[in-house]
Amino acid sequence: MSSISLDGVWKSYPRWSAGTRTLRGIVTQRLPMVARGKDRRWVLSDVSLRAGPGESVGLIGPNGAGKSTLLRLAAGLGRPTRGTVERPDSTAAVLNFDSWFDGELTGRENAVTALVVNGWRRAQAKSLLPAVLEFAELEDFADAPVRTYSEGMKLRLAFGVVAQLRPAALLIDEVIAVGDLRFQAKCMERIQDLRENGTTLLVASHDLDYIVDNCDHALWIQAGTVRVSGDAATVADEYRRAMQSATLDRTPAPGGSQSGDLELRRNRYGSQEATIDAVALRDRAGEAALEISTGAELTIALTVSSRNGPVSNPIVGITIHRVSDGVICYESSTESDHVRLGTLDGELRVELQFDRLDLLPGEYRLDAGLYRADWEFAYDFHWQAYPLRVVGSQHDKGIFRPPHRWEVVR
Amino acid sequence: MAPLATTAVGPGQFYELVAHLARRELNAQHRWTVLGWAWPLTRQLAQLAVLVFVFSKLFDFNIDNYGVFVFTGLIAFSWFTSGVQGAAHSVLSQRHLVFQPRFPSAVVPIVAIAVPLVDVLMALPVLLAMLVVSGDLGPTALLLPALLAMQLLLMCGFAWICAATSVYLRDVPQIVLVALTLLWYMTPVFYSVSQVPERYQWVYDINPLATLIESYRAVLIGTPSPGAPEIAGACAFALVLAAAGLWLFRRLEPGFVDEL
Repeated sequence: MSSISLDGVWKSYPRWSAGTRTLRGIVTQRLPMVARGKDRRWVLSDVSLRAGPGESVGLIGPNGAGKSTLLRLAAGLGRPTRGTVERPDSTAAVLNFDSWFDGELTGRENAVTALVVNGWRRAQAKSLLPAVLEFAELEDFADAPVRTYSEGMKLRLAFGVVAQLRPAALLIDEVIAVGDLRFQAKCMERIQDLRENGTTLLVASHDLDYIVDNCDHALWIQAGTVRVSGDAATVADEYRRAMQSATLDRTPAPGGSQSGDLELRRNRYGSQEATIDAVALRDRAGEAALEISTGAELTIALTVSSRNGPVSNPIVGITIHRVSDGVICYESSTESDHVRLGTLDGELRVELQFDRLDLLPGEYRLDAGLYRADWEFAYDFHWQAYPLRVVGSQHDKGIFRPPHRWEVVR
Repeated sequence: MAPLATTAVGPGQFYELVAHLARRELNAQHRWTVLGWAWPLTRQLAQLAVLVFVFSKLFDFNIDNYGVFVFTGLIAFSWFTSGVQGAAHSVLSQRHLVFQPRFPSAVVPIVAIAVPLVDVLMALPVLLAMLVVSGDLGPTALLLPALLAMQLLLMCGFAWICAATSVYLRDVPQIVLVALTLLWYMTPVFYSVSQVPERYQWVYDINPLATLIESYRAVLIGTPSPGAPEIAGACAFALVLAAAGLWLFRRLEPGFVDEL
């Protein structure tokens, strides 16, 4: 029976971190902490989880909630402070690339090592190597040291190995987001394949849509405990809703200086650690556009900035509402399109370009949002703050007008 | 051998892992150097030349066939120091292996011992050639593998203990370095135990590495062999230490991930 189960798992770490493993650190830092009984930090408290063969469980929650610790324990890395962990012998984990590769060695050598470490004989590992490299599409780079690889290439190599391992359980931590779309699709297909053959999947991700699409169940981990568990779509919904209220809680009270039509707690929300400073709509000629015709080109240009220290990998989202009834006509985010903003420190311009925007004539309003990398709350959210009028002589009904023509065949 | 690994890894797999990882390590060490594989031997011969010059030309220790005498001790001692020192760093520097769920970490310190064993195997033909030239080589040299095996066992114990404790206390590799430096002077590598005053002899009787080196010389050159109680004591010590080392390593192993 291949399945992962965690039963009432608690995990605490010593509070001292790296640097206090010297004699001096022990005397000056550890002993006083132990004496005061403040030497443990609880990362997980009473977490239980069960995933049978072929099942897939997603872990969601903000950074630092304990998702990675949970995955590590499930992988058999480290021992829970209390509780029990059961897992199949052939468990493979893609938790981070540090734990996979030695940068000085070539892709080929690293792949063979990973296979040998996971229980293959050297001869078998060598015969599996071509299949690994083919899946990873790294044949041309096989003899280059892994330190010269991009993150995406490392991911491909790791998955090439995992695809050959056929593990009874596969644990994945967030990493999948670094590959290009086509390769991600290939990995998904492969994972689906493994699941049909009984592999249990346990995956942590900030991408709620990914969890909903790929997992049967989900656990929302918050501050080391399971806040909600159940059907993936339900858990994701609850998480989203909680994020909205988390944003509201963080929004500062309206102060003196308000820019333009935006007012905090009326149509502007968010912690304001990072802000959207300007949103401009531009037409094909690059002119400011409050009005476009159906099917015209439109660029939405945002200027975002972080003034009080850097924020890492924020997400920018745009939503288009129809004013008459509030219907969401379109919504997209840098994350759903796999665009990474990197570290935001100072100012940055982000543009969303529509080659053609086939909205029917009418009045629309745009939301612009800047969110934390894990969607836990918004840094800045401008609600229905930017008007857009779409004009045209069409009398179609509905929301959008795809390019079309009628033909009568007699 | 089965209890060596925490996951279901048989002795064949254990050997396979050590062989693969040692080969990998050696490739990485020698890849970018011009002399490549000749480096370890070059290093040992250079050290040998200096020792022979200092202790037969500057200070005359008056030991017959001093070159062979020193080289025998030097090979064994170098293996011991490189192995134990490497083992002390081994787990710390092999994060990427320790973090693999199915990997038995107890392999890592053994790899650190296996790597300098290659130096020994490369120096041995040179030593044997020297013995042939000096006419010392006799049938007792066939006991050499048994002595190497005993040294391997002794090193395993030290390796597991140093590797496991250094994860929790980063001073351990430094402590090991100091201890090995002292050991160099307390082990009869470049001098003979017979030159040591009677009242300090006990130091050499309880030093298993001294007993080992004396034994190497006894079977190769025909110098007087250490007494049976010393040999039995060194064997027992090596066995107990290896068992204790493995026990300690496996006890501390589950915490590695949290400490690294």
